[in-house]
Amino acid sequence: MFSETGKPAIMRSAAWRISLWATLAFAFGTMVIFVFLHRFVSNDIQQRSDAWLSGEVQVLGDVAGRTPKDRLYGRVVGEVAELASRELPNKPPNMRENESVFFFQTAPDGSMALWVGKGDGLTFLDAIRRRKKVTDGPSDLYVQKFAIPFRLATASLDNGSHIYLGLSEKDELRLLRNLRLRFFLLWLSIVLIGFAIVFYTTRRMLAHVRRITEAASRIGESDLGSRVPMTNRNDEVSQLASTLNTMLDRIENSVHQLHTITNSLAHDLRSPLTAVRAKLEIALTDETKSGESEGIVSAIEELDRVTEFLNKSLDVAEAKADALRIDRVAINLDDLLRVMIELYEPSMSERGLLIRLRSTGAMEISADAALLHRMIANLFDNEMKHLPPSCTVDASLHVADDMACLTLEDDGPGFAEEISAHLFESRVKGPKSNGRGLGLAFVEAVVRAHSGSIEASNRVEGGARLIIKMPLVARSLEVVSDRPMAVASH
Amino acid sequence: MRLLLVEDEVDIQNFLKHSLTEAGYQVEVAGDGRSAEQLAIESEHDVLIVDLGLPDKDGISLILRLRQIGVVAPVLILSARRSVDDRVRGLEQGGDDYLTKPFALAELLARLRNLMKRNTSATSETTKLRVLDLELDLLRRQAVRGGEILNLTSQEFVLLEYMCRNAGRVVTRSMILDQVWGMRIQPDTNVVDVHIYRLRGKVDIEGHRPLIRTMRGVGYVLRDR
Repeated sequence: MFSETGKPAIMRSAAWRISLWATLAFAFGTMVIFVFLHRFVSNDIQQRSDAWLSGEVQVLGDVAGRTPKDRLYGRVVGEVAELASRELPNKPPNMRENESVFFFQTAPDGSMALWVGKGDGLTFLDAIRRRKKVTDGPSDLYVQKFAIPFRLATASLDNGSHIYLGLSEKDELRLLRNLRLRFFLLWLSIVLIGFAIVFYTTRRMLAHVRRITEAASRIGESDLGSRVPMTNRNDEVSQLASTLNTMLDRIENSVHQLHTITNSLAHDLRSPLTAVRAKLEIALTDETKSGESEGIVSAIEELDRVTEFLNKSLDVAEAKADALRIDRVAINLDDLLRVMIELYEPSMSERGLLIRLRSTGAMEISADAALLHRMIANLFDNEMKHLPPSCTVDASLHVADDMACLTLEDDGPGFAEEISAHLFESRVKGPKSNGRGLGLAFVEAVVRAHSGSIEASNRVEGGARLIIKMPLVARSLEVVSDRPMAVASH
Repeated sequence: MRLLLVEDEVDIQNFLKHSLTEAGYQVEVAGDGRSAEQLAIESEHDVLIVDLGLPDKDGISLILRLRQIGVVAPVLILSARRSVDDRVRGLEQGGDDYLTKPFALAELLARLRNLMKRNTSATSETTKLRVLDLELDLLRRQAVRGGEILNLTSQEFVLLEYMCRNAGRVVTRSMILDQVWGMRIQPDTNVVDVHIYRLRGKVDIEGHRPLIRTMRGVGYVLRDR
């Protein structure tokens, strides 16, 4: 399932975000620690090799000073230098020594006197000559054709000649590279495993929260009897569930009481009304009292109005308390509006009103048919009661954001300023209204009971505008539409 | 026609007994659930009227109990609650009907008739309806009065057909809304009256006897005499 932003559903979940951020923080933290560790280790390695270089160059200096300058001099010093190179620090087991160590001695005039190492050593001599500053301890030497610098230690002999011992930093860098590689692999696997663990646990926890949300919204929509699922653990989530359930108990209790009250009120009032109406009807059929029939008829009509008022008041009271009983069926709003307009059109044109419908076609919502019928009847009754002759009512129906959107506009006087903030409260009516102020309150309650929304405003060009939005049935049928559908054959 | 009336309010009981007897029913009356059950076992009835608020028993349980012991007659449920609960809806789908208090007698009678008709279900499917000099051809959806074809809209035809089927009997506004438009609404405005007024303008043409009569406070009737 993809949303309009194109992200998979899983990447929009809170579990994903939590685990992503937790992992990022962990990865960053461990990376910083490693950088410090790396610096420490590389300094330490350098110190060790410098100590070795200084020691060896000292030894070589001694040997060179003491060995007589005869034919064997070169061989003796060379052997010693080679032996020294075998005791390299950080030495890999199978390396070829000559590549990373060189030794040479310069004559007092600066020319090369002795060379131990790969090649003829002239490039090294050249590099040493081109050194800008000369320090006491070992220092870096950059040699042509060698990408990696050498550490170079120097000792001066009494006769004015110098000996140099160089050690490639290749091994040192290789060691550090190994360290980095191993760390990176370990780090990556820990981060990935950590991410998976955090994601799994938060997802499990949040799945429970989601189940609670689903159950709660289901309860809000239809039955107050069911409860959100509980877990055995005594954590925050299960506390949330139990708090919700306690709250639901209380709400159910209140709603039940309200039902009892409204039902008994309705019953208590209706029975006498029925009896009165019955007596009036008998009187009406009584031939001997035919002269009084006009009065009796108007009494019956008055009684019917009282009944209707009673019905509406109780409806609005129940609706306001979210206690409407809703029996959902699929309803095509487009069809319903057409039938309703067909029903109301004659009365409207009788009063000089024009009603028009613009619709984008069939539009299914899941709603209580009786409530929806009465809601639309209320809307049209309202228009008829408040519009002066020769006004136009424009009803339009279209889909916006998975909602069926019904707009009613007229070019009448619009809503009175003083009531526009309280339009949907019962008993609120305009100064010139002869209704009882229940119509829009009922409409709003029905819309809300169906998880819809309603907005009322005055149009800039004059007249009132009501926008009602109700969720389309498609959303709840999404699951069903995943199944393969039978293909209709002609 | 034998009828069992189960209603505890004495005023309504008397009124209904009186009016139903006058309408040609043999009425037996029970004031509570237990005596209703007793009466239903003792003798057979063609139709039942049951009030939901009985002193000893909930009306629905009574109906379910009666069904259990083999009573098949249709039931007209009287309810003081205006929002109909699911169980009543269930019964309604099972062929029973309900009416909220207060009701017009005409409506009660009409619904009783409908129930019985539904029950016998032997309504011969006629293709023509005739009331005095008005004739409706149900196949061609055409109405003729005194040899003259009436120019009716399809909705007006349905309305006229409904009135013809109930010729001589009063139909109330809510019955018309229910049967012709399929809605149980009670508009504050005179929507039904205007439809009837328009229909009357087309049906009761000059030179003919007016057929559609207004029964104030009750509804309308299509004269058949």
